[in-house]
Amino acid sequence: MPEITVDGETITFENEEEPKLLQFCLDQGVELPHFCYHPALSIPANCRQCLVEVGTPARDRESGELERDEDGNVKINWMPELQTSCSISASDGMVVKTHRTSEKVRRGQKDNLEFLLANHPLDCPICDQAGHCPLQIQSYKYGPEGSRFEFRKIHKPKRVRLGPNVTLDAERCINCTRCTRFTEEISGSDQLTIIERGVRNYPLTAPGEEFDDPYSMNTIDICPVGALTSSDSRFQARAWEMSRTPSITTTNAKGSNCFYHVRDNLIMDVTPRPNDAVNKFWLADEDRLDYKRFNNDRPEGPQVRRKGTLQSASWEEVHEAAADLVREAGEKVLFLGSARATVEDNYLLKRLADAVDADAPRFIPHTEPGHGDGWLRTDDRTPNRQGVERLGFRPVDEKMLRSQLDAGEYAAIYVLEDDPVASGLFEAEDLKDVPIALHHYNTTNETLPVANAALPAATVVETVGTYVSEDGHAQRVRPAKEIKGTSRILTQAMGAARQDTHGTPFDKWHNDQNRVDCRPGWVSLPAVAEALDRDLSHEGPKQVMGEVAGNVDAFDGATYDAMGLAGVRLEAESDRATAA
Amino acid sequence: MPTENGATKVKDWRNYDRVLLPPIQDLHKLEVYENEYEGYEAIRSILGDSEQDPEAVTNEMKAANVRGRGGAGFNAGLKWSFMPEPDDRPRYLACNADESEPGTFKDRQLMEYNPHLLFEGILIANYAMQIDACYIYTRGEYVDWIMEMQRELDKLYDKGYLGENIFGSDFSTEIILHKGAGAYICGEETGMLESLEGKRGYPRTKPPFPAQNGLWGYPTTVNNVETLAHAVLVMRHGADWFSGIGAESHPGPTLYGISGHVERPGVYEYPTGMLITDLIDKVAGGVRGGKDLKAVVPGGASTPPLRADMIEGVTMDAESLTEAGSLMGTAGILVLDEDTDMVSWLRRVAHFFQHESCGQCTPCREGTGWIEQVLARMDEGKGRIRDLDLLLDLSNQIEGRALHRGRLHRRRRARPAGGSGGTGVSGRPIASFSRRMFSLLSAIRQTVMRKT
Repeated sequence: MPEITVDGETITFENEEEPKLLQFCLDQGVELPHFCYHPALSIPANCRQCLVEVGTPARDRESGELERDEDGNVKINWMPELQTSCSISASDGMVVKTHRTSEKVRRGQKDNLEFLLANHPLDCPICDQAGHCPLQIQSYKYGPEGSRFEFRKIHKPKRVRLGPNVTLDAERCINCTRCTRFTEEISGSDQLTIIERGVRNYPLTAPGEEFDDPYSMNTIDICPVGALTSSDSRFQARAWEMSRTPSITTTNAKGSNCFYHVRDNLIMDVTPRPNDAVNKFWLADEDRLDYKRFNNDRPEGPQVRRKGTLQSASWEEVHEAAADLVREAGEKVLFLGSARATVEDNYLLKRLADAVDADAPRFIPHTEPGHGDGWLRTDDRTPNRQGVERLGFRPVDEKMLRSQLDAGEYAAIYVLEDDPVASGLFEAEDLKDVPIALHHYNTTNETLPVANAALPAATVVETVGTYVSEDGHAQRVRPAKEIKGTSRILTQAMGAARQDTHGTPFDKWHNDQNRVDCRPGWVSLPAVAEALDRDLSHEGPKQVMGEVAGNVDAFDGATYDAMGLAGVRLEAESDRATAA
Repeated sequence: MPTENGATKVKDWRNYDRVLLPPIQDLHKLEVYENEYEGYEAIRSILGDSEQDPEAVTNEMKAANVRGRGGAGFNAGLKWSFMPEPDDRPRYLACNADESEPGTFKDRQLMEYNPHLLFEGILIANYAMQIDACYIYTRGEYVDWIMEMQRELDKLYDKGYLGENIFGSDFSTEIILHKGAGAYICGEETGMLESLEGKRGYPRTKPPFPAQNGLWGYPTTVNNVETLAHAVLVMRHGADWFSGIGAESHPGPTLYGISGHVERPGVYEYPTGMLITDLIDKVAGGVRGGKDLKAVVPGGASTPPLRADMIEGVTMDAESLTEAGSLMGTAGILVLDEDTDMVSWLRRVAHFFQHESCGQCTPCREGTGWIEQVLARMDEGKGRIRDLDLLLDLSNQIEGRALHRGRLHRRRRARPAGGSGGTGVSGRPIASFSRRMFSLLSAIRQTVMRKT
């Protein structure tokens, strides 16, 4: 097996495809500073930061034998200049000295950082990138102590609107070309290029063009400095003020992995979380601009309709009201599950429906033909259609449902985390005489005005649960922000999720601000059942999901432990059918 | 006097008969070129002669030891032989006519006065390497000659010298004239290829070399204008004739572009291996106003300059110049007289490199501007002694660490005659910055002391 020596330590590797030295070292846990290199992009070797000393064993030209010195050690031919490790392939017998052992390399890296910083503005105190800035971090670690640059720095435009979502601060750019390579090689829009020459250059669109790529904001993440910023969230929060929670986005059925950045229980930003099985390194713009609904228009606690108007009530009262409504309708309750709610909540709804002998829940599909692009956007605008279908829910048949409603077949409707009026299933007029229990996220829910019992539901950033993507990838979500009231399960899950660079479960900014009085389905549904004298009690969503994985074949293997952070690919329905 | 086989030895340079730029009126016209210069006879005889297969032409070129006139001085025939075997992929020749090195203006003379020599040379190269099309990447500022050359090219297409089945043979090839937009870096061979592809002129990393992965990813050879012109002479007079001219290890006629403080600046055609002192004193009429010489830049602005006391006995060929601490480059000789403010001159050169740095990689992008600012401060009389150390430091921080420079530098060490075929651009500007710093240090130091 080929082997390579890094700083005196010999490492063997599989030689299927010669890895690049930089990636190889990073994989081995050897940190090499770099800016332009990105594992998903081509290698331009233009930042010149990842310098190392490289030597290869000397071989006799004719015999091909390794040359040895008097002591029998293999002679090493050192390359005369420092090499950029990103562009060199690791080969058998290669000997590498990094900054850990070589003064020459340390000097080279320091010199290069001095150059990079020569014209880089000292914006760190107001820069959004500060705190998680590769240039800042690597300057501290490998850079010079001061600067010998005593001249006026180059001035370039500070606020260039590249497109609807991306704003450029050209002075901060270090010309790594990650952004232009992204538009060329990943998104394929070719919208960005470098303009001007030498020290005056920076990325820009062609004249009159907009950077309106639906994936434009990925350039913000891969930008190693604060040059490309989100028009939406720039200057809103510092990196170290926010907690970062791994989760998934719910704008579409792709289940792209993301981090939710939270300060004072408000979502401030959404950034991609690498997952090779789902979204690689990327996130669609729609996924990350969709977070305001977690902060705004949130309900102020449960409400019950009394004398024709919705009035605030206690959770006990609203559970009782919802239970009454179900009890009175007997088995004539229409249960609507939701492709926006978690598998756990839908499963509990199904058990509630079973408990009162009502029909199995159905769900409202939300598709937008033509929206999908075969990459990270899908026609389906809900995150969990696969999940509810795997539970056996069928989509509603609009016409039939309306006629059934007119014929009085349903005496009550129980809606889990959806909006039948806004989705066009019913007119608000039609529902005047039918009592409705509604679990809702936002006060903008158009079914809310006709609801009789309104139970605010925890959104994806406030709950624990499972979603199944269009590709059958089952993934857990974790609470990123806190809700009113205490839940040991949520607090524990949040603590476990936030062990990251930006915070701990005991961050001082965990406070009571902006907490929404809402409850996850797996709390309120058993409470409603209890008011109906039915037993839906469980030990938490983890146990519920374990039950689902054990009882429902379509969820085979989808336990919390198995899903972890990367998720589990479930067997496709069609494969199971053929296997059976 | 010409020797037995007609070649001129260096010491007879006064009797040298010009072959690249002969004194023929209107030679740029096809009729004149054909009637008075035996034009297109070389390619005609190659195509008509079954003995002269492509490999024989390449071998003849290799034997003549035509060292690339674009600056790197690599054996052109050897470079041609690096092309992979013909397959169903297209193959290209890129003629580097983007002459943009300060102090270099020889190719312009060829394109202005004898463009058909270039075209015929391209036809020979195309045949030798079985090339489908040649792109001539011309410096955009040469707009008059570009138009003139295009007119002449159209004539060639009309007469069947270009296009399908040229000269009635079964060989087909094309020449496409391309106008650059004025960027120094597009004279670097891979930067030029990028530019030809319609992209930003950023040099590529090597390897892969153009012969493997050139224009649009296909096998490509890059040659300088003068190099290709020599192909005609080699095929017309034979490899022995060519290699018998001038310096033994760097033979052939060459165009010296002499500029700066001399009485008669201009382009002069003489054999290689001329004494620099002869070129300045006898060919160009001596230093202007009878002044003393201070320094000479022998091969375009990116080659290290030589002080007046360093050029005694130095001849214009790769070996002698390398020994003296400089490079042959493009043989664009810049002469500086005793009154030259070296700091001021260096500042001007630094400004050029700062302005023309493509900005792709960090050391050159940031370093060239910084160096210029330090030099500007010194030039304005505000220099500090530590600036000298800073300049040296910055030069060393750039050298060998920049993108395409570092590679070329390495290659040069491994193979002294390593070639890349740019118009003097390839590899030199930055790598030599450091050396220039060394050789000019005493001059700079004196200036600084005087001014502060």
